[in-house]
Amino acid sequence: MSPISGLNDVVAFVSERFPVDKLNFHSMIEKKEVPIHKMTWGYYTGGLALLFLFVQVVTGLFLLFYYQPTVSDANLSVEYITKYVSCGALIRNMHAWSSSLMIFFTVVHLLTTFAMKAFDRPREITWVAGVCLLLITYGFGFTGYLLPWNQIAVNATKVGLQSVELIGTYLPGAIADLPRILKETFQGEASVGQATLGRFYAMHVVLLPLALFAVLGIHLLQVQLHGMSQGIDRAAQKSEKFFPLFILRDLSVWGVAFLILFVLALCLPFDSFVSFPLLEPYNALGATPPGIKPEWYFYFIYYPLELLPFWLILLLSNLLVAGLFLTPWIFRDTSRTTLGFLALLGTLYLIIMTIFGHNIYEIFKGGG
Amino acid sequence: MSLPLSLQSKNVFLATALIATASMALFSGSGAMAFPEYQQFVEKHSGRTANCSMCHTNDSGPTGNDAGQIGSLTEAKLKQLNEARAAFEPGQDVDNPILNKFGNAIVKKIGMKNVLQYRSDPEKLATALGGKDDLDGDGIADSREFLDGTDPLNASHGDPWLLFVHNFSRYRVHIALAVLSIGLLLYGFNKVIAALSSSMEKKK
Amino acid sequence: MIDSLLLIALPYVAIVVCIVGSVWRIRTQAFGLSALSSQFLESRKLLWGSLPWHIGIGLILAGHLIALFCPELWRSLLANPTILLVIESAGIGLACLSVVGLMVLFWRRLTSARIQAVTSVMDLVVLTLLLGQIVIGMIVALQYHWGAVWATTTATPYVWSLATLQPDVSFVADLPPLMKAHIVGAWLLILLIPFSRLIHIFTVPLEYLFRPPQKVVWTNPRHHEATAFLSDDEARRDFIKGMAALFVGGALLSVGALDKVFRFFFGPRLSPKEEAEIMGTRVKRLEATANEKKLELERQTSDYIFVAKLSELQAKEGKYFIDFAMCPALAFLDGNNLPNLISAKCTHLGCTVLNQVDSQGRILCPCHLSYFDIATGVPNAGAPAKEPLPHLPWAVMDESGKMVAHKSANGKIIGTAPAGNAESYSVFLAKHLAEESKA
Repeated sequence: MSPISGLNDVVAFVSERFPVDKLNFHSMIEKKEVPIHKMTWGYYTGGLALLFLFVQVVTGLFLLFYYQPTVSDANLSVEYITKYVSCGALIRNMHAWSSSLMIFFTVVHLLTTFAMKAFDRPREITWVAGVCLLLITYGFGFTGYLLPWNQIAVNATKVGLQSVELIGTYLPGAIADLPRILKETFQGEASVGQATLGRFYAMHVVLLPLALFAVLGIHLLQVQLHGMSQGIDRAAQKSEKFFPLFILRDLSVWGVAFLILFVLALCLPFDSFVSFPLLEPYNALGATPPGIKPEWYFYFIYYPLELLPFWLILLLSNLLVAGLFLTPWIFRDTSRTTLGFLALLGTLYLIIMTIFGHNIYEIFKGGG
Repeated sequence: MSLPLSLQSKNVFLATALIATASMALFSGSGAMAFPEYQQFVEKHSGRTANCSMCHTNDSGPTGNDAGQIGSLTEAKLKQLNEARAAFEPGQDVDNPILNKFGNAIVKKIGMKNVLQYRSDPEKLATALGGKDDLDGDGIADSREFLDGTDPLNASHGDPWLLFVHNFSRYRVHIALAVLSIGLLLYGFNKVIAALSSSMEKKK
Repeated sequence: MIDSLLLIALPYVAIVVCIVGSVWRIRTQAFGLSALSSQFLESRKLLWGSLPWHIGIGLILAGHLIALFCPELWRSLLANPTILLVIESAGIGLACLSVVGLMVLFWRRLTSARIQAVTSVMDLVVLTLLLGQIVIGMIVALQYHWGAVWATTTATPYVWSLATLQPDVSFVADLPPLMKAHIVGAWLLILLIPFSRLIHIFTVPLEYLFRPPQKVVWTNPRHHEATAFLSDDEARRDFIKGMAALFVGGALLSVGALDKVFRFFFGPRLSPKEEAEIMGTRVKRLEATANEKKLELERQTSDYIFVAKLSELQAKEGKYFIDFAMCPALAFLDGNNLPNLISAKCTHLGCTVLNQVDSQGRILCPCHLSYFDIATGVPNAGAPAKEPLPHLPWAVMDESGKMVAHKSANGKIIGTAPAGNAESYSVFLAKHLAEESKA
């Protein structure tokens, strides 16, 4: 392949993914159609993730008014918000519930778009940006978990970060120390402390949002440029206008979702699922209390990590991430039926590990 | 060799240790005043982990030198502690520095005598506390929170279902208004969609 | 006197004139019972003016009528402060909406040449009166709060006294002049009904909301294209119903959200006792942080760290202390009555190991259940932790600071347990010994 034809290939690839001639209101909004078929509900999942992102941005901004990112004050400021500030408990709860729902719908969106083969040419970039968004969302979950600075937050973060260091044991001589150095750079000091809190805070509040909005911009631009994917193997008979009909339906769904979120946040404190000793302010000099766990959306990797050898999980998760990024090319010729089956398997695994992970853990490790 | 800092802390330590032993001498057995039976019962009954801070000021219980533990108490606070420990009969207002509000409320409600007695059957404590008192005002009685292993002093901590039911009725006006507004929006979207799609079909 | 004239005479005149005039007009000019649509003269501004105006004023009038006819129900509803707040805010919002609509209509009437041609002086009078009436109503609502409640004990009985022919001004005599002006304005508007386009409110007003003002269609196709959007009855009715519901629902939702947001932003207003409580906790936390920093400084600058009196150490229950790396460690008493200092930072994922020794001489890490032998530091077979917990070097000194025993670089213990009173011996964590052992 000569350099010129290689360059031409690149140009062709980019111009197919970014068709500049379609970069106008008419073809991106007015002409866009949404196919109607049995999987049409899948088109709403991304919008729902977006709704919860908006809720996160707004409630997060409010929490910033009162939150103080220092080891001595963080926990107290969170307590101050929930206990004294009017509607503070509601806003904090909304942030917590909405974060869970956002991750939930991001994952559902990934699975449905996978099943609907929405990554098919020319939508590869949409998919890759989407995978980046998923990772960023998980990053939000991980960094945000530390901020209340209570026992479960700090100890779970410690465990999470320590796993990074463990990678070193599988690396050969010269670079074996690299993960530890990486980890300490990431947490800012030898153990989780003020430096870590400051860094996680900066990431949660500034860096990750910036990254998210940048990638989200590409993701949404791609979605509008290429329109909705057909979603099923045989092209749908019917379709409806994206604007204004589908947008209005999407808004209706948002209304219902918001109502559910509101009632949940108002009536069911997120913290009530955790044992109270874990909600006490972090005590650097005391023992680790029993029952330290990550948030539920990490269970799918946490329980296997508890049960299986670390190297195996490391290998599998690396494969999974690589597989996710390469999906548009790996499954280029796979039918939607097969993809649907694979997505179903993935869904089953996630549901079982998230809901019954603890029971599975008890069965295998209960005696020890 | 120089040990200025450590020697200093040694002296401080000696002083507190003296106070601690003095206070313990008043009552027989240092461990006898902390009641792990209750914690064990709560953890077994509720399936949640618990620690001493359900009733005590310090989460590792009353013995030790940290804040809220006997070793850290001043002369005046020690006096308060001894007075509170003598509250054998129910009904006395107590302000025990090693206990939190819930701990003190228990002593007032049932008296130290019963606190000691119920160690063999901690479930009786819940019965004795009754179903009315609710220190944090979250709608779940303190005795229920004790059985559920949830924090009786934190209004946003309790059995999730009970909390949900209580808050739902507490905020029913807000919820009704939210349902009304969202209902109106849904109705509105529905009508507008109907109008737009029928006029679009006409155009075709 | 003036009160009686404006609040008793005027109403009766207004009502009589309104009834007689309207009946006369309906019988003689049946075709003129309309708002005299000017839709085909100018239709765009009409939509943006007419729709908000009719939605806003319709709902506000409905509120007034409920307060007039079901004061009891209205009052019991408003007993809830949240509902009261919502209704008052919704009222203001709707009033703003109708004012905006009316302004658009007014502007249209004043600026469009075609409409100027069909505008009578009476139209302008009615528009001005309506505008004034709403603005006064809004000022009253903002100036004298909770009018929705107090009106049920003032204006409502006043109107009923007129209706039952026992006029009693005393109900409203003490109201502020603005409120009286609002009442007088209402009577004036009623008076004008038969003489103006206001007569259209008798043409089944509810139905009006959902039907096109007039089905006036251009025969010219160019105009047809422009007005085809929502030209048929059904769609238009749906559209208007939908927009009305969206507006009311949206307004209600915004009021609720703004209520929460403003209260959150406003922050708490704490009692001195609460303030003191929070401040106390805050100071305690700061002290704890300061103590931690002191420990850290001490570990950076001192060679020996005091752990405990030798007499305090036990074989079965370890005493926690902080080692030179600011990590937790445990001190036990070994079989020879000498200290045994071991790191408590689990070699698996860094949790703090528990301090209770089990029957096999092991301590447990609660996170992933590794058991470490305290004599060797080695974890049990099959534990998630693979590396042993390291032992730490120590020194035992007497009161004068003389070292009587220590654990040397290679882990060898030099010296024996001091005889005599263990109270007088202290156990120290030793730094230079630690560094030697590393080298």
